[in-house]
Amino acid sequence: MHEFSMAQGILNAVLETAEANDADKVTDIVIEIGRLAMLNPEQLKFMLDILVEDTIAAEANIVLEDIDVEIKCYNCDYEGIGDVDDSDHYAPMILCPKCESHRVNVLNGKDVTVKTISIEKEDGE
Amino acid sequence: MHKVGDIIVARNIMKANKKLADKNQDKFDKSNVFCVDFVGAIGSGKTYLIEKIIDTVDEKIGVLAGDIISDLDAGRIESHNVPVVGLNTGRECHLDAHLVEHGLKDMPLDDIDYLFIENVGNLICPVDFALGSHMRIVVVSVTEGDDTVEKHPYIFQDADLVVINKIDLAEAVGASVDKMVADAHKHNPDVKVITSSLKQGKGLDEIIATIEEFKNNL
Repeated sequence: MHEFSMAQGILNAVLETAEANDADKVTDIVIEIGRLAMLNPEQLKFMLDILVEDTIAAEANIVLEDIDVEIKCYNCDYEGIGDVDDSDHYAPMILCPKCESHRVNVLNGKDVTVKTISIEKEDGE
Repeated sequence: MHKVGDIIVARNIMKANKKLADKNQDKFDKSNVFCVDFVGAIGSGKTYLIEKIIDTVDEKIGVLAGDIISDLDAGRIESHNVPVVGLNTGRECHLDAHLVEHGLKDMPLDDIDYLFIENVGNLICPVDFALGSHMRIVVVSVTEGDDTVEKHPYIFQDADLVVINKIDLAEAVGASVDKMVADAHKHNPDVKVITSSLKQGKGLDEIIATIEEFKNNL
């Protein structure tokens, strides 16, 4: 539901980095989305496609990458990638792959990060 | 023109909020204020719970009342003679740490013991936005349907206390309170769940005691 403000934050990060690198055009944007972020990737992409209009990123190819959820299990102390149980939820429930406990501390997987961009710039710059 | 590939941006869009949230919590700690964030759907009883606590305890309480565009909740709470700052999110579906920081400018932190933040009525978006509170209470009412807890795993995973409200109406709306309690524990095995009928005063003392317990264990 807050895809719009997220998209604005993402675009700011893209345009600031592009400007700092004297870009004339942004050709690719790679965004990492934690599987536990409360965002719908399709809606986010839709918002971004609208927001980039009239910017140097207007024609950029936008790639969204899923980021796995890292956990520490309170039950068995396992630390690593958590298992996703989406049997009864569209939104994944996370459980320990070792002991199947839901009693886990989520270490990573809620974030949204602008990872990289590719740009074009005038020769000689 | 030439192409330059893979310029590292590495900008975490969520981190800006988290940083501000930590800053807010520092402010609370410096003023010895225990901050509680109340989340729940529209009509679950968040404002009423805050009003009841204010009327029951002796401690000094300040309230940041989040609402999309109105100041109706802020006005309701203000009538209990406590400092209130209304936070309007405009089009946004959640409070964020930045809005809270703004609200704190008008909140006399040194004169209060507790700060209550009433989030916008929503069981989804607030999950992504820490505010800097020490404790998060999720209020859910049986009239929302007894599958509401089951359908919103993340907000319940993040909860420090779950209040299942309006249990006096459970029979009338055909809701199973037991199912809601079980679902909360499925999402968050160790969370404390209190069933309440705030209109009848049931559960209020236990809620207040749990907030105090959290404060003392900080």
